[in-house]
Amino acid sequence: MSNLLNLARPMLAGLLLLLLGACVGTTQLEIEGGALPVPLLERTPVNLGIYLDEELTTYVYREEIENKGTWVVPLGPIQLPMFENIGTGLFESYRFVDQPVAQATTSASPLLDGVLKPAIKEVQFSLPSQTRTNYYEVWVRYTFTLLDRAGNPVGEWNLPAYGKASDENYGSASKGLEAAAIAACRDAMAFFSINFSREPSVRKWLATGKPLMPAPPTTTKPAPGAEPADNTSDEQSTSGESAGAQA
Amino acid sequence: MNIRIPALPAGSRFIVPGLCIIALSAALGGCVTATVEQVRQTSTTMTEEDSIVVIGRRARPSEQEAELDFIECVSRNMGSGADAVQVISEQAFIDAMFPWFEPRTAPLNTSDLPKLMQQPLLAGRLREIGLKYLVWVEGSTKRIAQAGSMSCSVMPGGGGCFGFLSWENDSSYEASVWDAHTGRTAGKVSSDAAGTSYVPALVVPIPLIARVQNSACSSLAEQLKQFVQNSS
Repeated sequence: MSNLLNLARPMLAGLLLLLLGACVGTTQLEIEGGALPVPLLERTPVNLGIYLDEELTTYVYREEIENKGTWVVPLGPIQLPMFENIGTGLFESYRFVDQPVAQATTSASPLLDGVLKPAIKEVQFSLPSQTRTNYYEVWVRYTFTLLDRAGNPVGEWNLPAYGKASDENYGSASKGLEAAAIAACRDAMAFFSINFSREPSVRKWLATGKPLMPAPPTTTKPAPGAEPADNTSDEQSTSGESAGAQA
Repeated sequence: MNIRIPALPAGSRFIVPGLCIIALSAALGGCVTATVEQVRQTSTTMTEEDSIVVIGRRARPSEQEAELDFIECVSRNMGSGADAVQVISEQAFIDAMFPWFEPRTAPLNTSDLPKLMQQPLLAGRLREIGLKYLVWVEGSTKRIAQAGSMSCSVMPGGGGCFGFLSWENDSSYEASVWDAHTGRTAGKVSSDAAGTSYVPALVVPIPLIARVQNSACSSLAEQLKQFVQNSS
């Protein structure tokens, strides 16, 4: 009897620690892009470079939630398969470049018309316990910059993406949130693919034969006491904004 | 007459009653009442080359979003049995048609379908997979009532439970059948099921589970099979 109790005490203590750990520890998600599909669309007649900078490919979102511990959502690793599939399905040809200016042409790699530079600007997520719904939800706001082959900006636009997953379909919070994050990535791919050539700046650039754009004015340091320049771009469009907000 | 029962291993004294309880629970189960209704708008027919896909509506967070396992259950049941039809899995279809059937881009009405299907690449892909009917499913299974309580205790000499639990589940699903060839709604099939589950416990709890969602799934699948194959 006493032997049994002696055996049970450390087991109960361990179980209690495990439960406490599960409540307030760190939840590291794994966002895998193995199952992402290639978009089925008429290819846009453009030969683009895709520049994924280190900030994007190593992007990790962390959030601490009261009584739920720290949640780590690594969205960086899925970006390469996402843009590989977008490039394959959407553009006449593409290649990844390591700088945001079209590189010199070679026989193996023809001259690029321009370079696409995606960036993640903002990430949010919610758990069912926070929203009192049955859903894990993830929002990702991308900004896309299209540069001509000289590195001059053609256009910049935002793309809010949204993904959700019902807690009834997933056994654990981490699996549910992973599914919601992958759904948000698919949503970004879908919306980008359908709207790329409809984006006003892109449409105009394509219609005029993908010309070199004027270089942006060089910024000079304002004199002390001068009014700060307003850098907000008037041409920045926000396609998909309403749909994302609605979601 | 004496019947000699061979000696069982030490742990078997728990296994045998456990198996008996499982068998008893499976045999008894809870009672489920299911109702299936259909509305036909056009005639339907399927050949051996034609296939069908069952997908859930997932446009936005909703109480009416069908569970993934329910969609899988309907697909599986339609693809098996005597009058089975060729079924494409939901995920395979959505991936094959990406990005046109994602939650934010999927057509909301049949009137959106012809325009979508006019795209040469999509039309080609649909021909490739032989899709004849697209079934959109909305609905869910909810627990609508519960009562009772049960307490269990474990002591060094053994343990047990005492009490009585019951709960009532209600399933309500509606399937809209779209004809991918004509771009028109062929009809609707709805399946409703309700049942009460009980767990009486006098030392050992005996769960008598009403498989409400499973009943709604099998009746919806059977009706859909008949609907798409028999035009009458």
